[in-house]
This record gives sequence, structure tokens and C-alpha cells, in this order.
Amino acid sequence: MEFAWSNEQDAYRRRVSSFIERTLPKDWWTNYAHGIGTDAQLFYSKIFCPALAEEGLLVPQWPKEYGGADGNPWQQFILAEEMWSWNEPRGGQYMGVNWIGPALMRYGTQAQKDEHLTRIASGNVTWSQGFSEPQAGTDLAALKTRAERTNSGFKINGMKIWTSYARRADWIFLLARTGPERKSISCFLVPMTSPGIKVVPFPGLVEEGHLNEVYFDDVEVPESALVGEESKGWDVIRHALNYERVGLPRYHWARRTLDTAVAQLKKEGRFSDPIVRAAAGRIVAKCEAARLLTYLVVHQRITGEDTVDPNVQRLTAAEACLDLMSFLMEYTPDCLAGGDPMLENFYRSQIAATIAAGTYELQLDLIAQRGLGLPRGH
Amino acid sequence: MHLDFTEDQKALLASLEAIVEDHLAPPTEDRRGRYHYSQSLDAKLVSNGFLDAIRTPGMGAVEAAMVIEEVSRSPSVVEVSASALVAPHLLDEALPRPIVLASGDLSKAQRFLPVAKTVIYNAGDKVLVFAVDQANVETIDSIYAYPMGRFKTLPNLASARVIGGPDAVAKLHQWWRVALAAECAGAMKSAVDFVVDYTKQRKLFNTTIASFQAVQHRLAHAHRIARGLHFLVMKAAWSGDAFDANQAASFAQQHIQQLVFDLHQFNGGMGVTNENLLHFWTYRFRALQPEVGGANAAALETADLLWGSAA
Repeated sequence: MEFAWSNEQDAYRRRVSSFIERTLPKDWWTNYAHGIGTDAQLFYSKIFCPALAEEGLLVPQWPKEYGGADGNPWQQFILAEEMWSWNEPRGGQYMGVNWIGPALMRYGTQAQKDEHLTRIASGNVTWSQGFSEPQAGTDLAALKTRAERTNSGFKINGMKIWTSYARRADWIFLLARTGPERKSISCFLVPMTSPGIKVVPFPGLVEEGHLNEVYFDDVEVPESALVGEESKGWDVIRHALNYERVGLPRYHWARRTLDTAVAQLKKEGRFSDPIVRAAAGRIVAKCEAARLLTYLVVHQRITGEDTVDPNVQRLTAAEACLDLMSFLMEYTPDCLAGGDPMLENFYRSQIAATIAAGTYELQLDLIAQRGLGLPRGH
Repeated sequence: MHLDFTEDQKALLASLEAIVEDHLAPPTEDRRGRYHYSQSLDAKLVSNGFLDAIRTPGMGAVEAAMVIEEVSRSPSVVEVSASALVAPHLLDEALPRPIVLASGDLSKAQRFLPVAKTVIYNAGDKVLVFAVDQANVETIDSIYAYPMGRFKTLPNLASARVIGGPDAVAKLHQWWRVALAAECAGAMKSAVDFVVDYTKQRKLFNTTIASFQAVQHRLAHAHRIARGLHFLVMKAAWSGDAFDANQAASFAQQHIQQLVFDLHQFNGGMGVTNENLLHFWTYRFRALQPEVGGANAAALETADLLWGSAA
């Protein structure tokens, strides 16, 4: 076992960190870092990501032929850790880099690769994810949005909810029903400017900009919008979700947020209480467990092992974040009422962390059944 | 970063597994005991040099932690932690074993004391080592799955050997934490496997317990805890860093209550009898839960390391 970063990886981290520090505006924390779904941050991502791409740091883990540097998943995670230390200046573009791009590399046509991978790799496109519907979240196969064949392609009708960043997105990676079977689902790449698409943002507990309803009213897309085979989108979805489940280094963000909370408590003279100090210290252990399990998953991605460790990692990170949320409510409750916006941002973004990309309970099912060999549950 | 064992480590583990596999059930006559100290396992570990892994060229603390973790999978108990990992970080020479790790009030019961030859004692500002006079040891009947005993009269510490001052105390705490976490990691893995097997066989309302989602989810959590702990232990052994040792111990000790509750719950009434093997693991966790100050002490030291004083 070897837990050290190589010199090359250390240098890479320094390079990323230094780039972020010299690139972000001086008033980043006060005027921009309000949450990755907010207008301010999405706006800035369109300045930051092209610069990151120019520096060769947007998609280093991608193959050279798609604009990357033939890097490896470690680079992706080092980059993600550094980005989350700054509240993710890439905004919603991390999604295109982390899973939409890789899904297209595997399942897309040459024309789709040529068009979209180049755009994602240049940092000039924001994607949203058209998966969830009112009756289809965890049970994605229950989705009702339909794509019916026309002479030139497909006509889409239905609605999506949640759809983070949809208000400002350029494209949506859309799932729609294309056949009678439960899993007759196809994936489509649809420009958000298509006639018949309407986006309705709505407020919620989670951070601003994440909750959007997207309506599709006779939206026409060409045959070339289909990703993979018709009605065989389930493979694409599984591939995408597998990437999405470990996409965010939540442990890293949690540690950073805990530092901020402790700084506030120190300033207020409340960090001498051993109960508070121990509560903070206990959370660190859970964050570190999540960190090592994430590194394990990255390692397995390289070695090609198929395990339930991504699910184990997801739960462990969720536990750490839930404990931190409780800590914030107990000791820095003003964070949800005009207090530190970083703390509020973390809290609100984590409210749905145990729901998005496969609920907490689904992760438990997968560990129990695939990992421990238990039968399908009642 | 490479989170697989090396080929040498895999070979070490395979040899260990072969020995531990022969000790996955205590002898019939000891099945109803509170614990079973396996002299046979102890002897094989010694004769094959596993307790000296840390002193073997090409090996180190990771291999010692692997030995502790693997041996702890057995329901039988053997003193490994102090001999294989803790003592070698305090002294160059091997001490007569089994070894007791003690702290605070020496009038209280200590793990392994009825079979021990040496005590390593945290006397607050220094670490002391002294031999155990078994004539001065009273065995205590305890549900902890270790041989438990206390001194009839307090040992004369004035004649004890001083190993070192505050630095030695810090080192003792650090490696004791790694060792207890490694014990928990191995025992947790076996306890979870044991209960998973049971729930697959035991039927309630004409269906196996394992098919109830309420049971599955809690077993999935138990697996998650054991898995996370394993990597925290390996990292702490690899780095030799007090911060990592704190995280391993804190994570283990924070989760013991949940784990003991769930695992016993799913074994039902049988799980509270001595003839059921579960207590051989779970009541080791309980004994380890408060050691080196428990989860809160590890967390407080983490707070000191990360954020310094209160100001």
C-alpha cells in the first residue's frame, strides 16, 4: 500500500492551486462564490473554464484525441479537490467534464464527439441533466417524458424537474421513453434553445439555481441527437451515474467548511468548549474515511475492478456531511439566517446530497445485495 | 497512491490466513466461555515470526497492522497489538509477552493481565515497563471477550523501568490507537460476515431475515464501517502520523455502539448466549471502546492538531 502522492501529482496539485489563486477575482468569496447553481457563479464559470482549458487543466484526464492530456483519474480528483476548496469555480461545467464527456466518448457517434467533446473541452458550454421527473427520481425507469419518431428524428413531450443549471444551460442530456418496455429509454442531446422548451425555476431548500422545471412541448430533435442505440439508453445511464456518484469530493468540501465554522467559533470565543472541539474532531474522522474510500474508488477505476466501494464511499461521505450539517445547526445556526454564506452554501447544497444520483437507501440496497450477497429486499 | 497490498504483503496475508483459518472456532470445551485465549494460535504466530514483522527487513508498521487485523478475525483472542506494533515503537528489544497496555488507575481491570508477563504503563508524564507477578493477579469474570484481571496489590512503580517522558507517552498513545483500530477492523469484518451468514439462513415469517430491507440496510452500514476503518488503519500504520492514528481510533470507537447493537439485534436471542460466537468479537469492541480515552479523546487531539488552541 502506498498513500503518498507522487512528486508528479504534488506538482500537478500545486499547478492547479496556483492557477486558481491567480485567476479568481479578488472579490471571489464575496461576489461570486454563492453556490454553483447561482447566476453569479454560472456567469463566472464561462470566463473561468475557457481559461482553465487554455491552461490545459479542464480535461487533463481525457484522451488527447478529445482535447485532454491522456491523464488519469487521479488528476481528475486532485483537480476536483482543489476546485471544491474554492467552491467549484467551474460551476455546472464539472458535469460535462466528469460524466457527459466520458459517456459520449463511449456511446456517442463520431459527429457527436466532434461537436460536443471539443466544446466541453474548451470550457464554453454548460450542460444540465434531464433525468428526474415528478414520479421518476430514484426509480428512473418510471420516467414518462416521451420521444416519438418522426420522419426526421424525434418529437419530445414531457417535463423534467430538478435539472440543475437549466436556466443557464446551453444543452441538456435528456432521457426519454422510446418504447413500451419499462427500460425502453433513450438518451438525447438537446439544445436548450430548441423551440418548445420552457424552463421554470422554483425556490426550494437547496441552494439557489438547482431547482428548475423544464417543459418539452413538441420539441423536435434530429436523429443525430440520439446517443447510443434507441431504447438502449440504460447502459449509458448506468455508466453516467457511476461517474456521477463519486464525482464530488464532498469530504474535501466538508473539511473546508468545518475549518470555516471553527474559525467563526474561535472569533466568537466559543471554541474553548471541549464538547464543541470534540464534536468537530469527530467529524474529521468520518471525512478522512470518506477521503480514503474515494481514493480507493479512483484506484479501482484505473484497475478496472467492479465493486460496491463507490456505494460505500458515497454513504461514508454522506455520513460525514450529515454530521457536519448537524454541527452547523447546533453551533453556528446563524449560517442559515444571514451568517457566513459559505456555511449556508454547504448546508443547503447537502440537503439533497442523500437523494441525488441514487438515494442513500439505494446505495444501501446495492451494498447489501451486490456486496454482501443478500437477496432482494422486502 | 496505490491502495492494493503489494505482492509481498499479499503473500504475508495468505500465510496468516492459512493459520487463522484453523482458528475460526474455539474448541468445543471453550465455546461457552467468555473468551478463548488461543495458545495454539499464539504459538504459531510466534514460531512463524509474524509478531516480529515490524523488525523484519522490508516490512514495517503496515505489515504489523495487517497481522493484528488478520489475527483479530478469529473469535479466539491472542495478544498481538502490544507485541507486534506498540512495543516495537517504544523499545528496540522484544519484551516478554503477552503484554498489557495500561493507563490511569492500575487498580482497575486490565485486558490480558491474567496471562501477561509484562505491562507497558502510561504513567501520565512517562512510560513505564514492569514485569507481571502472576501471584499478584486476580482473574476477573467479565463479559469482555479478553482475559481480564487486576492486581491484588498495586505494583511498585518505583522499580519499574522508565522508557521515556512525554514523547514516549505520545508515541504510546499513537500506536495504541492504531493497534486498537486494527483489532476492531479485523473483528468487525468477521462479526459482519458471521451475522450476514446467519441472516441468510434464519427464517422469520417464512422468509429469511436477510431479505428484510430494514436488516439489509443496517448490515450494509456495518460493512461500510468495517471497510472505511480498514483503510484508516492502513493509512495510520503507513504514515506513522498521530493525526491518522486519531482518525482510525476515533472512527472505530465512534461506531462501536451502532455496530454492537445491530449485529446482536439480528442474531436475536441466540446472539446473547455464550455459545453463539458473536460475543467473542463484539465484546472485544466494547473493551476497546474506551481505550486511550475513547472517541472523544481522539477527537479532542485532532482538534488540537488541526485548529490549535481555542483562541
